[in-house]
Amino acid sequence: MIRYLYEKDLRLMKYTILTSTKHDETVRAIGRHLDMTDAKLRRAMIRRLDMSLLENLGSRWEMGLKHADDGDPLAEELGRELFTRFIPLLDTETMQSIYNETRSMMKEGSSTDEALARGKARVREAILS
Amino acid sequence: MKKTVDVSIPLGPVHPCWKEPVRLKCETAGERVLRTELELGYMKKGIERIMRGRPWQEVMFLAERVCGICSVVHNMVFIETMEEISDIAVPPRAAYLRVIANELDRIASHLIANFSYCYTIEHETLAMYLLNTRETLLDNLERLTGSRINTAYMIPGGVRFDILPEDAAVMLADLVKVEEEVRRHTQIFETGPLIALRSRGIGFMSREEAIRSHTVGPTARASGVPDSDLRLRHPTYQALGFEQITRTEGDNFARVMVRFQEIFQSIDLIRKCMDTLPEGPIRGGGLCKAGEAAYSGEAPRGELTYYIKTDEYGRVVDIAIRTPSIMNIEACAHTMIKDVTSIADVTATFISSDPCVACNER
Amino acid sequence: MSILQDIKNAVRSRSIHVAYVDVGSCNGCDIEVLACLAPRYDIEQYGIYVHNNPREADVLLVIGSVTPQWVDKLRDIWDKIPEPKVAVAIGNCPISGCVYNRRGTLTEPPASKYIPIAAEVPGCPPRPTEILSAILSVAPLIFKDYEER
Repeated sequence: MIRYLYEKDLRLMKYTILTSTKHDETVRAIGRHLDMTDAKLRRAMIRRLDMSLLENLGSRWEMGLKHADDGDPLAEELGRELFTRFIPLLDTETMQSIYNETRSMMKEGSSTDEALARGKARVREAILS
Repeated sequence: MKKTVDVSIPLGPVHPCWKEPVRLKCETAGERVLRTELELGYMKKGIERIMRGRPWQEVMFLAERVCGICSVVHNMVFIETMEEISDIAVPPRAAYLRVIANELDRIASHLIANFSYCYTIEHETLAMYLLNTRETLLDNLERLTGSRINTAYMIPGGVRFDILPEDAAVMLADLVKVEEEVRRHTQIFETGPLIALRSRGIGFMSREEAIRSHTVGPTARASGVPDSDLRLRHPTYQALGFEQITRTEGDNFARVMVRFQEIFQSIDLIRKCMDTLPEGPIRGGGLCKAGEAAYSGEAPRGELTYYIKTDEYGRVVDIAIRTPSIMNIEACAHTMIKDVTSIADVTATFISSDPCVACNER
Repeated sequence: MSILQDIKNAVRSRSIHVAYVDVGSCNGCDIEVLACLAPRYDIEQYGIYVHNNPREADVLLVIGSVTPQWVDKLRDIWDKIPEPKVAVAIGNCPISGCVYNRRGTLTEPPASKYIPIAAEVPGCPPRPTEILSAILSVAPLIFKDYEER
């Protein structure tokens, strides 16, 4: 018997990677940043990131906190570079449109908190979609 | 007009160039790589899970079995973390002996990394030269520690064996030979026109990208990341006047050359250690206590971090190991291999970042 | 026994192709197998060629305790090797699981659960000379008079 494709279900192995001490801490920190439950975030990560990115999650998160979105509080809060270039949970175009919309909402006079809450909700939606 | 098709090319897990199993799925247009995905899990042994709840005397031996190539440094960083938790002082002679063992291991590791690269670009002559030179170093490591690969040389508060005067003399004589050989090999590599064609400008990684994925070790130093060698912060290396080597090209050639240059530096460090080896005891003793610490050391491949939590009997309650290969392989797969123009260069680029899958997955 | 068989035996004993597969070790045995290639041990003077290609191999060196990804794939690799073939376990890991066979592990040793192992070289890791002599002593036993069996 010849099998041409031998793709294996990687979800369990990816879950094993995410549940080691430091990775678990990082997932919880990201979850707090996005106001998301850990289980949902883990599921999104398992679907979107490959195994090597998952292993490197901790140091990417650290470097993201240090270097991403310097000097722009709104971008920092939404994680414009953090969640596209450092931890690629979203593609750049989606993130840019969310960022632009939030910015215009703030210009049009809605309060910062409201606009931010709206922007973050859209980020969460995009991650889970 | 020639038709270009998009294909997905899987490489591995068993591949003639790769020493360890890993599966790389390249999405290509023609032969140009658009994006890659890495499939791991072939070496996941769950060593952190095994270590939990065991006394340090057992974890010490498990720690060097995280990686067989750089086992000395895994041993060293684990022991130094335990010393940091328990405030154990190391006698100066033991600290110098540790540096000697570590540098011998580093030279051997760099030689095998460059061997793999030369073997992958099919320069088998140079590869075999390098592999033969490595045997001389392993002989010296064996004379010093009693074993070739898994040495378990260091213990909290010192080292196991002193260096005998006759062994020291042999080591110094061997180092002269090794330096001469490696100088010749470096010249072959640096000036070979075909090697340059396969290496220069291929697998480029910029400094920003290196910082973003937190690459460490020779891979980062080849891209010009400053202050990326943790030996700069180790007290014994500071006393020896260590300086970091940096190159700016960021391609395959630079990564291999950084390793060649570090070999000469390590030889000088060992010589300096031998010249200034202080007299005194090699074991100070001490008791491992409860505590929690994160400690980093410089492995041959880069920054190695151990996070350990112990209880009052010296048992390891929790442990997390961050090995350099985690960052380097990730950066290599997602940054360097992207836009490589030929599938033949994918393997060479992957090997140039000195991937150690056993470290990566633990 | 025919003269033809004698010639075949003589040729086969000097032409052994080796593939190695790492099914989850610490890398130590891996590099000891690589060290066999070095001119000091010179594996090729005995007519052993390391290709790492299962499809043209005679001897498969199995290194490491068996990790989840290899549970199904090790058998696949074994099936790809043409007859006559032999598997040699290098190091403690494929024999017993070595240090990895403890509570909390992800590995499933021994390797002999998945493929038939003809010889074992214990050690953590074994020296290159031991690996070399194991291959040299097991290969002729398997390949001698293969057609007449």
